[in-house]
Amino acid sequence: MVQVVFEKVRKSFGATVAIPCLDLRIESGEFVSLLGPSGCGKTTTLRMLAGLEQTSSGSIRIGDRDVVDLAPAARDIAMVFQSYALYPHMTVAENICYPLKKRGVAKAERATKLADVAALLQLGPLLDRKPKQLSGGQQQRVALGRALVRDPSVFLLDEPLSNLDAALRAHMRAELIELHRRLGKTMVYVTHDQLEAMTMSTRIAVMRDGVLQQFAPPAEIYNHPANAFVAGFIGTPAMTLADGLLVREADKAIVRAGALAIDLPQALAASLPAATPSAITVGIRPEDVAVGAGPWAARVRLVEPIGHETIVFLDADGLSLTARVTGSAALHAGETVAFDLRRDRLHLFDKTDGRRLATVPSA
Amino acid sequence: MTTRRPNLLASLIAWPLVLIIAFPLAWMLLTSIKPAAELFTRTPQWLPRSITFEHYTRVLTETPFLQYFGNSMILAISTTVLVILVSVLGAYSLVRFRYRGRETLAALVLFTYLLPSVVLISPLYLMLVKVGLANTLASLVAAYMSFALPYALWLLRSFMAGIPEDLESAAMVDGASRMGAFVDVVLPQALPGIISTALFTFILAWNEYLYALVLVNSDEARPLTTGVMNMLISAFNIEWSLLMAASVMMSIPLVILFAFFQRYLTSSFGAGGVKG
Amino acid sequence: MPDAAAARPPGAGALERRDALLGMALIAPTILVLGAVIVYPLLSAIYLSFFSIYTPTLEGHFVGLANYRDLLGSGGFWSALVTTAIWTVGTLTLQILVGVGMALLLHQNILFRSLARGLVLFPYFLSTVVAVLVWRWLFNDLYGILNQMLMNAGIIAAPVNWLGAMPNAMLSIMVVGAWKFFPFVVIAVLARLQTIPESLYEAARIDGAGPVSRFFDVTLPQLRDVLTIVILLRTVWDFKEFDLIYLMTGGGPVNGTRTLPLIVYNQAFGLNQMGMAAAYAVSMMLVMLVFMLAYLRRANARSEADSAA
Repeated sequence: MVQVVFEKVRKSFGATVAIPCLDLRIESGEFVSLLGPSGCGKTTTLRMLAGLEQTSSGSIRIGDRDVVDLAPAARDIAMVFQSYALYPHMTVAENICYPLKKRGVAKAERATKLADVAALLQLGPLLDRKPKQLSGGQQQRVALGRALVRDPSVFLLDEPLSNLDAALRAHMRAELIELHRRLGKTMVYVTHDQLEAMTMSTRIAVMRDGVLQQFAPPAEIYNHPANAFVAGFIGTPAMTLADGLLVREADKAIVRAGALAIDLPQALAASLPAATPSAITVGIRPEDVAVGAGPWAARVRLVEPIGHETIVFLDADGLSLTARVTGSAALHAGETVAFDLRRDRLHLFDKTDGRRLATVPSA
Repeated sequence: MTTRRPNLLASLIAWPLVLIIAFPLAWMLLTSIKPAAELFTRTPQWLPRSITFEHYTRVLTETPFLQYFGNSMILAISTTVLVILVSVLGAYSLVRFRYRGRETLAALVLFTYLLPSVVLISPLYLMLVKVGLANTLASLVAAYMSFALPYALWLLRSFMAGIPEDLESAAMVDGASRMGAFVDVVLPQALPGIISTALFTFILAWNEYLYALVLVNSDEARPLTTGVMNMLISAFNIEWSLLMAASVMMSIPLVILFAFFQRYLTSSFGAGGVKG
Repeated sequence: MPDAAAARPPGAGALERRDALLGMALIAPTILVLGAVIVYPLLSAIYLSFFSIYTPTLEGHFVGLANYRDLLGSGGFWSALVTTAIWTVGTLTLQILVGVGMALLLHQNILFRSLARGLVLFPYFLSTVVAVLVWRWLFNDLYGILNQMLMNAGIIAAPVNWLGAMPNAMLSIMVVGAWKFFPFVVIAVLARLQTIPESLYEAARIDGAGPVSRFFDVTLPQLRDVLTIVILLRTVWDFKEFDLIYLMTGGGPVNGTRTLPLIVYNQAFGLNQMGMAAAYAVSMMLVMLVFMLAYLRRANARSEADSAA
């Protein structure tokens, strides 16, 4: 059982600083996703953990060892690559046994471990084939098998599902969750797909431009995003974020956004720091916008029926809102509808640096 | 532009051109099997009236041809082995490692690729004389490094750059050292490239003329190129039949390599010879 | 790849340093060999060019820039430069035209395509010695098949002296040079042709472009990059070609085909003036260097203009 700790890790490529200062502590047995848009540094972070990239400064500890000067082979890790990186000239069996061979494991033991992994991942019939004879999903399982066979302390996965089609991806997601549950190993998973991160992780580390935005369990990230970026990044359809003005009157607080004037609930208003500036960013998730009845009116811009729900794009005097309606909605573009907002689910962020201003007690 | 049906129009245009291009070689072959008398006619004599192999026998028995052939073999094989050993390691270094001066080195290698041998003949001659290697096959192997090694580096560098880095990364995470990953993953993947490069180097060494002319003066070390030119051309009597027979025999290894390995030879152009 | 070694603060990165050392160790044999057989001789050649050296005895004395003064003033250098330029341009043009043409043809699905390809490419892999012998036999004035065919067909009345008279000799070596070296163009262009996506042609066809139009508007632009490199390489290699011209004409008739490489050889081993030969060689290299830089600058400017456009 090992924890992974990044301490003041910095990475620069020549003059460009990719990661200014990363502090991240992953507890033993966690499944942590590094999530963010392309270029946010998540893959670089993973590769530094693997030893495929060197840190510019700072330390990385796996267990109680500082591994920064250790070669990848010495770190007791296994990695699944986005491209699977299966050795093309070796059979599936040889691919999987390769790490064992490198560690000097005896032939008999190699065969046993191979059999175990093959049984676990249903690779039996594929053992004599070469990678190019396998489908994407099969290759992925072989890559997984090669990582599992060594029973390392930490598993690293670099967007392993991104080359699979949607159905297979969903299936493999479930398999990986099950695998983690069964093995209880520390897993570090890089992805740009928030659905994967949300469903699979014990905690998600959201990154942007090399900076850690928030490191928390999925529910907290969803309900209490630490800043406007995280709020907008997590959740599909995305949260509506708009410029707003905070107006305080005696005990009350009112947020003006576009033509709307929203009374903040008492709990929310009370939690605002006293020195809150009046220019803020206000956000509301689509599922917290109720269409059909309410104090405000908006014009329907676009209706997207998804089957089990409908996404409705509203325009309230220039303010664009997204709303989610369960089932099908009898709405058409151009119509005017009434709508309401769940005011206790408003997210308020500082306009200049995007950080969260108020904390609503968890729903 | 390409359909599965054979393109007859293109075939009709292409094949006459192909035959024209191949004609000189066909003519070489025909001349070598015609009795000498048939050569000296006034009107074109396309096909031989009788076939003889006497010219081949004469070249083999009356001239040092076999000695030259042996020399060329040793020379080409030695050059190839040495070049491959050095260039495989060097190309890997240029492609996968980061160290100060790497880019400069790569640029210099490129530069030497374009250097005229003519510039080097005098100083190389001086140097090899001083070292005591004048007139030996070893001197030729050394001289051939000057053009074969940069070429091999250029080719191999391209081939290796095409191998996904993830494979070596995976091997290293799996427990291989840097060089272990090289042997287990890069070499097998680069094998087609290495074969191409080896073939090319062999051919370059087999066909080289200028250095052989300058550096070697005696039959013991003379390769085929200078040997053949030397032995059969005297000021007054050029024996064309013998020359054609010698030419055919000189080209046999090339034909064999080319026939069996055409795929390798031409793939190296696509991957390495031009890009890069 | 960015050079990370420079960004490393001192004391950190043992792993990186080991890596860099390994990298340097791997390239060390190459550096040693190339240092010995290229760098040292090259510097030597420059050094030698300031001496007058008698080849058989290898004795010489310092003459400073005298060699260069003679070379530039004598006119021998300049006329040889012109000759070399004529040869290069002539054979290069043929190589490119025939090379691109054959590549286009071989790209089609012609009958016995692999055989055709093999026959077309083979001259490149032959020894120059063999090529020269074959062609000198073809060009032989009395018994060569070329004259015999032409006379038989009534095209010429008397045998043509292909190699012993100008401009025949220059034209002849251009043709032989083209025959020997055009396959390089074929291979490079063919490889590139095979990577042009069929969809480009389909789109052009839908837009109404006929075959000629498709060649100029789709094929040729796609070939531009490869042709730029091929032209550079072939120009450099044709310019420095020694074997073919030496063996075909020896530089004759009367220096009609005496290119710079031939002069270098002749100076060193014919006239036994090794120092002068080195001076010629260095001058030749400078010319080539100027050309390459100018060419690359123009090629880069062109491609930048394209990507900016």
